[in-house]
Amino acid sequence: MGEMEVDRADGRTASQLRPLACSRNTLHRAHGSARWSQGDTIVLAAVYGPKAGTKKGENPEKASIEVIWKPKTGHIGKLEKEYEMVLKRTLQSICLLTIHPNTTTSIIVQVLGDDGALLPCAINASCAALVDAGIPLKHLAVSICCGLTESGSVILDPTKAEEQKIQAFAYLVFPNSPLSVLSKGSSAEDDEPIEHGTITSVTHGVMPVLDYFNCLERGRAASAKISEFLRRSLESQTK
Amino acid sequence: MSNQTIKLGAGLRQDCDTISVMKAGTLRLSKPNKYWVESSHKRYVPCVEDTVLGIVVDSKPDNFLVDIKAPTLAFLPVLAFEGGTRRNIPKFEVGTLLYVRVVKANNSMNPELSCMDDTGKAAEFGPLKDGYVFETSTGLSRMLLSSPTCPVLEALGKSLSYELAVGLNGRVWVNAASPSTVILVSNAIINSEFLSGVQQKIMVEKLMKRLQ
Repeated sequence: MGEMEVDRADGRTASQLRPLACSRNTLHRAHGSARWSQGDTIVLAAVYGPKAGTKKGENPEKASIEVIWKPKTGHIGKLEKEYEMVLKRTLQSICLLTIHPNTTTSIIVQVLGDDGALLPCAINASCAALVDAGIPLKHLAVSICCGLTESGSVILDPTKAEEQKIQAFAYLVFPNSPLSVLSKGSSAEDDEPIEHGTITSVTHGVMPVLDYFNCLERGRAASAKISEFLRRSLESQTK
Repeated sequence: MSNQTIKLGAGLRQDCDTISVMKAGTLRLSKPNKYWVESSHKRYVPCVEDTVLGIVVDSKPDNFLVDIKAPTLAFLPVLAFEGGTRRNIPKFEVGTLLYVRVVKANNSMNPELSCMDDTGKAAEFGPLKDGYVFETSTGLSRMLLSSPTCPVLEALGKSLSYELAVGLNGRVWVNAASPSTVILVSNAIINSEFLSGVQQKIMVEKLMKRLQ
């Protein structure tokens, strides 16, 4: 399917992301914190831990992760519980859980502004907050929202108005590509490189399978840009 | 780099054939073969032979339970004191501040502490009385303990007399004759985290001028 010109309300092209901003160590009492904004969607994540002890149902041989989602207004309902579950599963796959067994790390996500792509913004904020707290991670996670318009073209990072108009959208989380130094004598990688995997995918609405794979490809390409931004932001704030 | 034995310190791990990093920070090398990632956080990961400041949380028949800002509570055996026997077990109340040394630290067990040095002498370890405790990041504690003496401590020492104990776990204890001196020293230390040596000296001079 060719690249068709899509008219977006704020004048962006189909593959253009909103301006990203990330600041770490914003909260004084939290052990790690980060504030991530994509346009007008702003999320503040705070990490406390690791603290001793696990909850009843959790495996004591691994660290457990607890997520609390706080919406901007209103009561906590099913949607918030769903976000908590998705965030918990995503973060469990990037953390090294066997390093500190029998501990609990709590992540509290506070929504400060919601203008579309809320869950990806929260995942990016939580990942930056985990790095700020020094929780051991396998790799970072970058998250992006891809929307599918009626004409079949993919738009990235839709605003709330765009999300309500389009036919379907997907929140995708990819691992960020590691920078590695390989010795000269090493053989070529037999397995697929890590950046071809997908950590999480949450879809809303109905979309054909081919269009879903199209979304995945576009999302993965764009996640390289977010990954680059995250790496630069972490480097600049490390002494 | 092949055929070389290297030691991996904090923040690095071996994943089958590759060495990957777990935390964000600066990669450091200590010749001949030790690599580690240096980073500054508000929590502490216990390492053997570190000196830390702990706060007693509970006491059991065999151990004191001490909080050292680590993922789990640390145990201080009741006999780990100079000349310690079952008859003269010290009585520490909940909330006592102790200057201790980490003896055992691995991730699956609670860390173990001791109030003696290698030879069995007390050597400054033990409870700290009076004074004021505040929390800092681990990076600032390392800077305060670096040699040559950290510029802010040297500048403060030129005009004030104070007593200082720094724990590598991000806790600092300050004691001086008057409360205003204690407050001044604590504020100077907290403000010096992101300043260079020259900036630290200037900051201390300004604080001293305001005191006069």
